[in-house]
Amino acid sequence: MSASTSRRRLLLDAGGGFGWAALASLLPRGAVRAGPRAAPHFTPRAKRVIQVFAVGGMSHVDTFDFKPELQRRDGTPYTMPTFFGQGGSLRACPWEFRRHGRSGLWMSGLLPQLAKQADRLTVVRSMVSKSANHMPAVAQMNTGFILTGFPAMGAWVTYALGAENENLPAFVVLPDPDSHPWGGSAQWTNGFLPAAAQGTAFRTHSDGAPVPDLATPREISPEAREDASAWLRRMNRNYAQEHPGDSTLEARVRNYEIAARMQLSVPGIADLNQESEATRKLYGTDDEDTSSLARNCLLARRLVERGVRFVQVYQGGSGKSWDAHSNLVKNHEDMAKEYDRPVAALLQDLYERGMLEDTLVLGVTEFGRTPVSQGTGETAGRDHHPACFTCWMAGGGLKAGLAYGSSDGVGYKPAENEVTIYDLHATALHLMGLDHERLSFYHNGINRRLTDVHGRVVEALLA
Amino acid sequence: MAALLWCSPLSGAVPVGSSHGTEVLQRRCLQCHGPATRMGELDLSTRESALRGGTRGAALVPSDPARSVILARVAADEMPPGNPLSETDKDALRAWIAAGAAWPDSIEERRAGRDWWSFQPLDAAAPPHPEPATPVWLASPIDRWVLAGLQAFGLQPSPEAARRDLIRRVTYSLTGLPPTPEETEEFVRDRSPNAYGQVVDRLLSSPHYGERWARHWLDLVRFAESEGFERDLPRDHAWPYRDYVIRSFNEDKPYLQFAREQMAGDVMERPTRDSVVATTMLTLGPVDAVGLTSAIPSERALIREDMLEEMVGTVTQTFLGLTVNCARCHDHKFDPISQEEYYRVKAAFQAVWPPTRPVPAAGLDVLFPYGKPLLTPQESQSRLTRVHRLEHEIERVSAALGSLYRKARPPDPYAESPQPFARWTFDTDGRSDFAPLHLRLVGNVEVGTGRLRPRTGEADAEPAGRDEDGPDSGSGFGVSRMLDQEIGAKTLEAWIDVESVPEKSVTVMEIRGLSGFRGASVDGIRYEAGENPRWENASVGQFRSKDTGGAPEQLQPGGRIQVAIAYDEDGTITLFRNGARQGDSYTPDPGIPAGRLQIYRPGDALVRFPANKHLHVAEARLYDRALSEADVGASYRAGILDLKRTDLQHRLVGEDRSRAADLELERAALRSHLDELPSPDLAHSASIRALEPTHVLIRGAVDNPGKQVLPGGLSCIRGLQEDLGTQAGSSEGARRRAMSEWIASPDNPLFARVVVNRIWQAHFGRGFIDNPSDFGYNGGMPSHPELLDRLASDLARQGWSLKALHKRILQSRTYRQASRFDADAAAKDADNRLLWRFPHQRLDAESVRDSMLAVSGDFNRTLYGASFRPFEFGEQRGSLKRYMLTDGDTPDLRRRTLYRMNVITAGDPLLEALDCPLPSVKTPRRRSTTTPLQSLSLMNNAFVQHRATGFAARLRREAPDLEGQIARAFELAFGRRPDRAEMEASRVLAGRHGLDSLCWGILNASEFLYVR
Repeated sequence: MSASTSRRRLLLDAGGGFGWAALASLLPRGAVRAGPRAAPHFTPRAKRVIQVFAVGGMSHVDTFDFKPELQRRDGTPYTMPTFFGQGGSLRACPWEFRRHGRSGLWMSGLLPQLAKQADRLTVVRSMVSKSANHMPAVAQMNTGFILTGFPAMGAWVTYALGAENENLPAFVVLPDPDSHPWGGSAQWTNGFLPAAAQGTAFRTHSDGAPVPDLATPREISPEAREDASAWLRRMNRNYAQEHPGDSTLEARVRNYEIAARMQLSVPGIADLNQESEATRKLYGTDDEDTSSLARNCLLARRLVERGVRFVQVYQGGSGKSWDAHSNLVKNHEDMAKEYDRPVAALLQDLYERGMLEDTLVLGVTEFGRTPVSQGTGETAGRDHHPACFTCWMAGGGLKAGLAYGSSDGVGYKPAENEVTIYDLHATALHLMGLDHERLSFYHNGINRRLTDVHGRVVEALLA
Repeated sequence: MAALLWCSPLSGAVPVGSSHGTEVLQRRCLQCHGPATRMGELDLSTRESALRGGTRGAALVPSDPARSVILARVAADEMPPGNPLSETDKDALRAWIAAGAAWPDSIEERRAGRDWWSFQPLDAAAPPHPEPATPVWLASPIDRWVLAGLQAFGLQPSPEAARRDLIRRVTYSLTGLPPTPEETEEFVRDRSPNAYGQVVDRLLSSPHYGERWARHWLDLVRFAESEGFERDLPRDHAWPYRDYVIRSFNEDKPYLQFAREQMAGDVMERPTRDSVVATTMLTLGPVDAVGLTSAIPSERALIREDMLEEMVGTVTQTFLGLTVNCARCHDHKFDPISQEEYYRVKAAFQAVWPPTRPVPAAGLDVLFPYGKPLLTPQESQSRLTRVHRLEHEIERVSAALGSLYRKARPPDPYAESPQPFARWTFDTDGRSDFAPLHLRLVGNVEVGTGRLRPRTGEADAEPAGRDEDGPDSGSGFGVSRMLDQEIGAKTLEAWIDVESVPEKSVTVMEIRGLSGFRGASVDGIRYEAGENPRWENASVGQFRSKDTGGAPEQLQPGGRIQVAIAYDEDGTITLFRNGARQGDSYTPDPGIPAGRLQIYRPGDALVRFPANKHLHVAEARLYDRALSEADVGASYRAGILDLKRTDLQHRLVGEDRSRAADLELERAALRSHLDELPSPDLAHSASIRALEPTHVLIRGAVDNPGKQVLPGGLSCIRGLQEDLGTQAGSSEGARRRAMSEWIASPDNPLFARVVVNRIWQAHFGRGFIDNPSDFGYNGGMPSHPELLDRLASDLARQGWSLKALHKRILQSRTYRQASRFDADAAAKDADNRLLWRFPHQRLDAESVRDSMLAVSGDFNRTLYGASFRPFEFGEQRGSLKRYMLTDGDTPDLRRRTLYRMNVITAGDPLLEALDCPLPSVKTPRRRSTTTPLQSLSLMNNAFVQHRATGFAARLRREAPDLEGQIARAFELAFGRRPDRAEMEASRVLAGRHGLDSLCWGILNASEFLYVR
């Protein structure tokens, strides 16, 4: 074991006699495959992930999936089951679609800035998911399962690869400051994986410390804390020496040192004023329409730059989201206005810093929206639509400027190359150098995987 | 132990004969030379690892018995140590190697057969007679087996732990709390031979024993006090189950009974309150209430099947250590459990639902977590009888009053205006005129003042419209009886008194069909707040709603307006305000399957008036046709009578007047009788719905039912009949009771083994089996099989007393060993499977928090009762409510962590950093990790600061000078006095920064957080 692996392992592990190493030996026959690891299965194409989650269900037929037939059949009846149980008439996309970039990728006028990044996008237009219901749909995109209690993809990646920077959590979640996604912290849980793999949600809605319990309480003076820490270090070190053979005791001593360094380093990372004005402008951090997502996208870049492995950025939640049951035009224009510039800036910024080539950016949502209208007139919307939707990816190891898969004439179902969430997960793990079938963890009778018993790597997406 | 069979890769599921060499390896060698144990670095479970060999090189050479080390060792009877192979086994091994030593080639193809060890009857082997270093190791069968195991590997047990360590260890084991300094000193001083036994007895009779062990149990049964999914609504009545568990442990309820009650306590021969509460265990899984009302039947069915799988999984993992739920879609991959058997087990629980509070009369389209009244059938019957009698009486009096008051009413001014189908004037009590659509009043609402409105002086009712928060949210409404005739074309008319301008949209009157999508189709009069305030038709999903384009509504407080919506046969919807058409008529989208015009059917539809404080309803009318503009105008011009009950009372004369007064008194008395009926206690117990047939679902698909099955047990467990003796016609109760008696049966070897293993694990940090809820193939082999069986059979013999089992374990020399480290022993047995020492362990999250409370003296020791809630449940910039943690430090928050409400999305950062699992996850074994975030929480969490401050205050109370205070701190937290260097360092720290700083350090110290 190299010094760095051993340190990493100590950090991750270090349970009271029940860490990775111990765990591996506890695993029964047949369950050892997952084993402890802090290394990929094969050479990765991407070292880190930023996942941008459009909560509520972004309409595929109004953004990435151009459907001329839908435009032609506008207003004609169409029968299909929907979550609210009522079909309606087909509804054309109210925004104009155009080809963009050298790749000629189709995108609607809703996302003009992102359209300028067309040649960096890999768009999957044939996604399907299982649930037409918000919370299970978010859960499936995060964990592969519609029930809660399963580890999120970020937790799996952390479990597999560990942290690059021991002064920061490996898996960071940046919720929308206005609203948490359905299910809250269950959406970035470590599930049955060790606690070290859980997502650390930064507090993005306040100016306080970004991590819970990060700041020394105000009433404690720095000298008092320093002296008390020195006392504690001596006590804990003595105790560790009295109890050889328990690596967790040494780990505790080290973790207090790391925690103290985190207290110093994390607030600086969250300080976006350290960025140039040009950068802040690129993202739109000071523009009221874009600031909440812009700040989180910029923070995401700062975090991965400093070695955070997996950052999840949420746009929206139970209070504000892409969930356009009514007022499709106003809802999607508002949400897109907030989404477009910051996300485009993130891709541009990563590219300019040479980071896009080994960073995987995932643009995901819960489900698409129905090609039929919900309600009538100006205020009409679209219902939930898990039977077909679009996700996009960008960065390391992907074929850029590609639109993969297609839906039928009106965007109701995939027509070719259906891609499940398991497939998306398998592909993302593959780019991280992980085999989704080998990355498993024994829990309550089953070797659990992010991809359950499904999933295949979508080779066509890979460069 | 019985022979084990493997499956050869070629023969699929057919077990190969016992002559196979791998069978001998499996049965006699893998316990120590398996992938989990690897004694001498040797793993014989795969061909590859066996050929790679261990410290002595390759274990064998295929086709060459003479050069195979393993054969030499077994031939010399050196292996397995102390228990050589039989000649038959040696021959089999030799023949197998000679034939080329073929292994099954992949792990997947290995599985347990029916002769897997855990399915066999308990083994009654006599304990061995090892030669001990000291004779005390011969007193207990536990020690004899452990010692024999150690000696077989050339290991020796550790000496007895220091008395300070021992009392701290056993106090945590049994109560999850530290001993007091006084308890420690007394034990250290008491050299009598039974001093330790007395400590164990004292702790077993402490009420904190039940609390500690309840927490272990609640982990297994995923005790969640919220529903999960997107609403995660609180379960307010789950806590009586937690108390039931505590009480059961404290009373030492026989484990057999404890188990049976949780599966079938409501249908036992003599159910008690406790046994009914016990069935809460079945209902604690997550509930997707929104999904259960999906418009898509297969989605509803799938969600229900998921719930049942979760229930079957919990029952079988908890009591049998078997993952029967893995056989839902196919035969179990590792254990001899068929798919059909899964459905037979499921059949016994088929009708079990969590208790919910459906509110069909209110037209609510979701179910809310609720409690089941804790009454015996007789109590329930007599209560219902009384309620019905009182309600009947009230109805009779109300009818008499209603006709008296109606007599007193002046003539209707409606001569020229259209005749309504029904009319509500709110001048008496919500009774209607014409059609009998009398209102029932639910929640915060009143009538009788001539208006329907929230009761004055009470908190603001939520604007109705989205019934997200359940019937107890404080909103109120009047809801009519069901329609007695079909209503297609119609007009709704409401006379509205404007008190203030609503900020949110509100519905004032609606007609609802109950069997439509999500239990409701709706048309109604709705005020749309926002930039363009207006009246609009209310409809589910707003499919039939539209801005008609009239002038914006400018509500004037103090004003009264008439709003009407007419729904024509052809679907045309027209809105009127003060007699005049508002904007344009419109027709909803023809693509709506339900049609343009909603038809409301008799027995399936009602009228509902959500009350809100801004807009009161002075009168409302329902017409069974679409009124024309002229009709609505005539009605508007005619106006309303606008009477209150008191007006009518004054208009009554003579006998009628006194009679009305008498009736009012009588009604008030009846109502107070009804209110005074004690409401029964509620618990989240199993709620039994109609029994539906159970079909095997082919590949687990809800739309692909196969043959119908009856409840039945598993055929793989020897000594048990899989037939439960129930028939097609057996009642739900008989079926479930039979299943509970099959699972919790004295003849079921798994039932006893599993609980013994759990208790052993809780004391030693690991069990004989490492996967305590999986005694199937994936759980592996036990480390001390004979000892496990001995304890299991003794448990049954001793009346299933868990306290007796604890006592035997805690009194053993094995438990009383020191936790000292021994590098030589660790080299042979790093994981301490053989128990050469007592393991050094970190406290679990709850014990950490509880210990901080205990040593700081801030501990609120209140036992039992409703959970404390360190959070608020409220709206935050969204339509769904969320839990928001509070940082308070009131006494009710200083109760044991066990009483913290176990809400899925309201976890505590400190507890989570200490590996406290999500309550909805079955956790048979806690993890123990050490992370920087854990350090941060222990350093800075507000709770830790509060405790450090409290601890310092306590020290100042209990000792006069700094040295005394420091000594007291060490005694309280570590159970010992400081040495000279520690005293000096502590004096410097406390002298410079105060005792709080020292207390913070102590609460963060490894010595405080670990048990040795």
